[in-house]
Amino acid sequence: MPVIEVKQLKKTYNETMVPVHALNGVDLTFEKGEFTAIVGPSGCGKTTLLNMMGGLDRPTSGIVTIENDDITNMKAGELVDFRLNNIGFIFQSYNLIPVLTVKENIEFIMELQHRNRKEMEDRVRYLLEVMGLSDKINVRPRYLSGGQQQRVAVARALASKPKFILADEPTANLDSKSTDILLDLMAELNQKENVTFVFSTHDQRVMDKARRIITLEDGKVISDIKQVKSNEARHS
Amino acid sequence: MLVQIAWRNIWRNKIRSLVIIIAVILGLWGGIFSDAFMQGMAEQQVYSSIHTETGHLQLNAPGFLLNHDMQLRIGDADSVVEQINRLPETEAAAATIQITAMASTASSSTGIIVNGIAPDTYAKVSDISKLMVNGDYFKNDRKNMVVVGQQLADKLRVKLHSRIVLTLQTVTGDIIYGAFKIEGIYRTHNSEFDKQMIYVQKDDLQSLVGFPSGAASLVRVLLQKDDDTKEVAEKLRSQFPAEQVQTWIELSPMQQVLSGTMTQMTIIFVGIILIALAFGIVNTMLMAVMDRTREIGMLLSIGMRPSKVFGMIVLETVFLSLTGAVVGILISIGTIYWFGKSGINLSMIAQGANAMGYNSVVYPTLGAGFYFQLAIMVVVVAIIAGLIPARRAIRLKPAEAVRGD
Ligand SMILES: Nc1ncnc2c1ncn2[C@@H]1O[C@H](COP(=O)(O)OP(=O)(O)OP(=O)(O)O)[C@@H](O)[C@H]1O
Ligand SMILES: [Mg+2]
Repeated sequence: MPVIEVKQLKKTYNETMVPVHALNGVDLTFEKGEFTAIVGPSGCGKTTLLNMMGGLDRPTSGIVTIENDDITNMKAGELVDFRLNNIGFIFQSYNLIPVLTVKENIEFIMELQHRNRKEMEDRVRYLLEVMGLSDKINVRPRYLSGGQQQRVAVARALASKPKFILADEPTANLDSKSTDILLDLMAELNQKENVTFVFSTHDQRVMDKARRIITLEDGKVISDIKQVKSNEARHS
Repeated sequence: MLVQIAWRNIWRNKIRSLVIIIAVILGLWGGIFSDAFMQGMAEQQVYSSIHTETGHLQLNAPGFLLNHDMQLRIGDADSVVEQINRLPETEAAAATIQITAMASTASSSTGIIVNGIAPDTYAKVSDISKLMVNGDYFKNDRKNMVVVGQQLADKLRVKLHSRIVLTLQTVTGDIIYGAFKIEGIYRTHNSEFDKQMIYVQKDDLQSLVGFPSGAASLVRVLLQKDDDTKEVAEKLRSQFPAEQVQTWIELSPMQQVLSGTMTQMTIIFVGIILIALAFGIVNTMLMAVMDRTREIGMLLSIGMRPSKVFGMIVLETVFLSLTGAVVGILISIGTIYWFGKSGINLSMIAQGANAMGYNSVVYPTLGAGFYFQLAIMVVVVAIIAGLIPARRAIRLKPAEAVRGD
């Protein structure tokens, strides 16, 4: 069973003078454990597609199903809880809570899920170790570099144990070194723990690390390529 | 964690928060202190009224107060005084003869009320003896001395040691004259009172009008504590069913109205200040929400329920307001305590105040009940002020807010 199924998805923005057809009938399925990049020129609909898949916005027509749950017809209240428990989000501008420490930022989402203290602490310690940030546990985000902040954001997204993680241009604000570190960490999580990632990007080097590349143009899928890659290739 | 986030968020934009916090501190301080000042004036008014005009309680024959009928009297006043003195709540009690009369000099005359008192005993229930501005309060035992108010002396154009003639009715209904020498002149805060009330020795008055010995027109009682008034009044009513027992509140209802409405006025006054401050608080929090559009978008995106986001903003508003309010109230309590002890001397600007019936040193004071009501009001106003920014926050569309630029 696919994790995400997108059927005949259309989105038209009507707030503008001329309606914008951001998505024009997209059909896609994502399996558990995928590591997928969504690419395409600016304005092709990448963000719009990710928003629909993440339940952050409603499509004009079409259906998004997440493991049997049709999120396009969920009530607003239900959808909030569904996002909390099923979808991890990583944003271009990190979006950590500045008044909380790294540890508290990661715990925050688990607290929303009413996890117990012990479980939260163990998970924070484990995730920060994976992300190589154990020494920053009690630091506030503004004392971290962009790359470090984005790694905390990945840890936060993972903390809630989501079915998959959506990331809209997660590396757009990072330098190439931080980009490599982040992507390698994501790839490692994908390989070792079977975490499903769907991310959008403009960056050729990021695309190269993906195992599937979906290209959009004018709100349509124009290519969908699965590339088989070796570990060596990824590390070169 | 919401509590932590809300609290820490206040200090994120320190200047902006401090501006509104200081506004709250100053606004409340000004409001509370003015209230305490007004309350102090009102209480002083009540105090002087009790200690010069009425006492806490007064016993007299039913109907006496209507027109000071000399036939309506307490026959065994001395024994009534003795019994009242035995009550543990009593500070002092004094029997007084009160007769309406005409006071005349060569040039003018006016209606007055003559109080026949035993000076030493009366001094225990009334502060008149301490309010002498000229001469003495029955210092020597000479006959036919009188103590009058400044206002009356002015009106009759008499001075200390002048003579005035009192025209009265005797018990049998005859008209009689008595010449009295002014031994002392007093002044209270109440000029109407000063125009009316004159004091002579009880013995002098008794023999002049033939008032039976041991009897009195009224018995005035001073208690140790204001709060005992009602209770003791009840006691006396059952103990002396033949007499009319009235409390200071019944004797001068204006005092009650004054101190009663004062409490409401003080609350209304700070209430208005709070509402004004609420506008500033709303504005500050709206700015805070705008600044955090992207962060709030993120919270809504990752699955924080709007109701929680709403609560977080309201909580932050309450913290912001309470920080100012707590400091403002503490400073107020401190300054009220300080000035409550030392008093605020208004003598520089007191001419007007005195004419209005106020003393020149005011001791600001506020009851604990006021602070309790105020605390509830602050929280309620803060919650209401928080609703607007909180609503703004949850109206953000997560997908758009998170993009944020
Ligand atoms: N809220 C909106 N209201 C109106 N039009 C919108 C809105 N969001 C996106 N669009 C339009 O929809 C189209 C697709 O936008 P989208 O943001 O999905 O593109 P994108 O592929 O993410 O672009 P980029 O690479 O620049 O991030 C664009 O033409 C954009 O202008
Ligand atoms: Mg985009």
